Amino acid sequence: MIPARRDFLKSALATGGLVSWGLTVPAFLSRTAAAAPDAGKPGARETILVVVQLTGGNDGLNTVIPYKDPEYAKLRPTLKLPKEQVKKLNDHVGLHPAMGGLAGLLQDQALCVVQGVGYPNPNQSHFRSMDIWQAASTSETLSEGWIGKALRQLPAAGSFHITGKNEGAPLALAGAPVRVPSITTLEEFQLQTLAASSADKKQQRTLIEDAARMREGQPNLLDFVRRTAVNTYESSRRLQEIGKNYQPRSTYPNTPLASHLKLAAQLIDANLGARIFYVSIDGFDTHANQLNTHADLLRQISDAMTAFYKDMAARGHKERILMMTFSEFGRRAHENGSKGTDHGSAAPMLLVGGKVKAGVIGEHPSLTKLSMDNLVHHTDFRQVYATILDNWLGIKSKEVLGEYFKPVNIFRNA
Amino acid sequence: MTQVVDPHWAWEAYRPSDASPWDIKKVGHLYRRASFGATWNELEEGLKAGPERTIDSLLRGGPGQDAFDLQTAPLAQSISRANNGALARSWWLYRMLYSPRPLQEKLTLFWHNHFATSNAKVNNAGHILSQYGLMRRHALGSFRDLLQEISRDPAMMVWLDLNQSKKGTPNENYARELMELFSLGIGQYTEKDVREAARAFTGWELNGGKALFNPKQHDDGDKMVLGQKGKWAGSDIVRICLEQPSAPYFIVGKLYRFLVSEALPATPELLEPLAAQFRKSDYNFGAVIDTVLRSNLFFSPMAYRSRVKAPVDFGVGIVHALEGRVGGTALAQSLEELGQNIFYPPSVKGWDGGQTWLNGQTLLTRQNLTLAITSTENPRFGQRTDPAALVQKYGIKSGAPIVDFFLRLFLQGDIAPEARAKLLDYQQHSHKQTVPIYWTQQDAVAHTVRTVCHLVLTLPEFQLD
Repeated sequence: MIPARRDFLKSALATGGLVSWGLTVPAFLSRTAAAAPDAGKPGARETILVVVQLTGGNDGLNTVIPYKDPEYAKLRPTLKLPKEQVKKLNDHVGLHPAMGGLAGLLQDQALCVVQGVGYPNPNQSHFRSMDIWQAASTSETLSEGWIGKALRQLPAAGSFHITGKNEGAPLALAGAPVRVPSITTLEEFQLQTLAASSADKKQQRTLIEDAARMREGQPNLLDFVRRTAVNTYESSRRLQEIGKNYQPRSTYPNTPLASHLKLAAQLIDANLGARIFYVSIDGFDTHANQLNTHADLLRQISDAMTAFYKDMAARGHKERILMMTFSEFGRRAHENGSKGTDHGSAAPMLLVGGKVKAGVIGEHPSLTKLSMDNLVHHTDFRQVYATILDNWLGIKSKEVLGEYFKPVNIFRNA
Repeated sequence: MTQVVDPHWAWEAYRPSDASPWDIKKVGHLYRRASFGATWNELEEGLKAGPERTIDSLLRGGPGQDAFDLQTAPLAQSISRANNGALARSWWLYRMLYSPRPLQEKLTLFWHNHFATSNAKVNNAGHILSQYGLMRRHALGSFRDLLQEISRDPAMMVWLDLNQSKKGTPNENYARELMELFSLGIGQYTEKDVREAARAFTGWELNGGKALFNPKQHDDGDKMVLGQKGKWAGSDIVRICLEQPSAPYFIVGKLYRFLVSEALPATPELLEPLAAQFRKSDYNFGAVIDTVLRSNLFFSPMAYRSRVKAPVDFGVGIVHALEGRVGGTALAQSLEELGQNIFYPPSVKGWDGGQTWLNGQTLLTRQNLTLAITSTENPRFGQRTDPAALVQKYGIKSGAPIVDFFLRLFLQGDIAPEARAKLLDYQQHSHKQTVPIYWTQQDAVAHTVRTVCHLVLTLPEFQLD
């Protein structure tokens, strides 16, 4: 626990001091927070959430496969995976053959599969449906994300969007009291100058930072730039204090997702009080020739998440970790004529961590009772979110989601 | 924002007045939106010429367009033959930097973001460059023609699987995005419309890199799309989409965000005159561009600095203003790091743009890119974009004029006075600082010029378009 920092923030919020300046830095990265007690010291038990976004609409039916169901082969004449290669989770379903890593975590009681997740009146636009998942709402206009809103109740929780190069900050993080920093690598997260001397360097940096801080009656957008700048310069300074040579305790594959998760591990290990991470992997929109592309993507997820889990477990963080995957929708039950699948609806979510209820939750959606040719959900994704918010992050889900959602039994002793 | 704008006033032509004079800020604004920023001479000439003549020449482009096309064409052919997607990016950036008609390149970029096709999947530089050519041909032309032709464009056919869509087993990818992203917008069609339209688009194949219609693979049965029933082919679906009242609004709404403002909401009332013009002119896009660029709203404070600079505008703008001679490759790599990898958009929706361009990482990368361009010590740019050389070219004396030169060039002097004071202070004290022992007097002076230029480019105002 880190009562000192919490209390500081509470009082700062109460007086409006920190927030109303409009130029705030993430509390856990500010100078004040740097002096606060270490969240990473032994005894710290704060939970961590890593959201893994699968962009493009992951084919759930070929991720968690109902290998015993004779209908499966009929729906997928060219895309079906052979029964004997499926990584069996129970007598009905198993993971895609490329997901041996994650399937192996079942022995460690660290993998939980929630089947048949979706929401009512599913939308089949990538962008609309992704917004719905990220905002946890089906309202017409969506401007805030579920994580952003959650962070209002967790002002001291460190949070990072670890990002690739062609990827903006997600809606999921919008609405946070302070902007969540996006980072690609620590090496690139610093401000360079061309200075004649160290004194010159200091002068230049001071000028750059002061210019960002100045304010008079200014338009909104300029204020946005200034906030981003002040926030960034200070975060960057703090993050440069972190040791550069992180030695993972497991082998991360050489993929972008694995690099993102390795950086997350490094930030967790750096005792910053980081608790929320957001990463994504694109490419799941497999309308044509899906078989190998999809296998490769699932292998990337499985191997990266497995490496991260093992690294964290080896550092004693096993019970603090929860990873959650989601995608904007699943895909059409019946494959199309291009050896691919069109947009669908219900799909599974994967949860990985030391405290999950290991195994499969809920039935696989029926392969015969379809709606508009799509699998039908039985669990609303917001039920999963609510359970994570209430029972994992320890905050009030109703304040984030706007209403009560029935919890799903995804944690041990939950 | 609670501003209420009179739509009639908004799109009437702007006339300079005492309340809203033609000044250097407006010239800079016009060149940021209708080009990739201005050089020193473009600013000064625009100021003298006034709005009408400056806009005329931006619309028309300068002399030497044919020669420029002839000069760049052979390279495009060899890039296509070698199927080098990375070089295709460089090639286009070169055109953005040096075309005598930059507005055409800028609007081609608009269409690239609209029909966002990624070579990551297409994997054919020839197809990608020929799609670029299609969009450039119609960049200020007929949207109807563009939409019809893009539906048979080889790069698009691969990107959205049109070439895989067969009678009996249609692929829905193109039909959906045609309605959602290319013509109508979400909520203007049903799932049933998508599936029926997909049937109409069956039968197109790629043969030797050319689109070919194969009647055997075409579903020629009746389809019911957006309330119209018939034995529709793909071109009928495009026609039906363009008959929908939402279509002109959807396109001018996107254009509004691109050319006018990301901050001021595009209400249907505000867009109505533009949408009406677009519909009545049978989707003449160039005419709408003309209206927008000359309008009151475009030159109002509501539009000024009301967008976040896209990486292309940021990078190309700096090199252009510094009058640098660089190949496109240095910039292509840098812009990828900033999140705008041209010919490789992140999804069929294109780049979200606006505030999503800027986050902690991209801001630092932008600031570090300005350093790379101005320092002369970066291997990508070297001395090809040297601010000290520019200052020499214009005969700017050292001291305060250096600060004001760069402030005028990049920001038309419009920044917080405190920031200018700090820059002057830095400049004035620079001669006192310790420098490496091997530097000549000239080295030290040039260092200060480059540093001042870099510091100007790091000001928050420079992130705005």
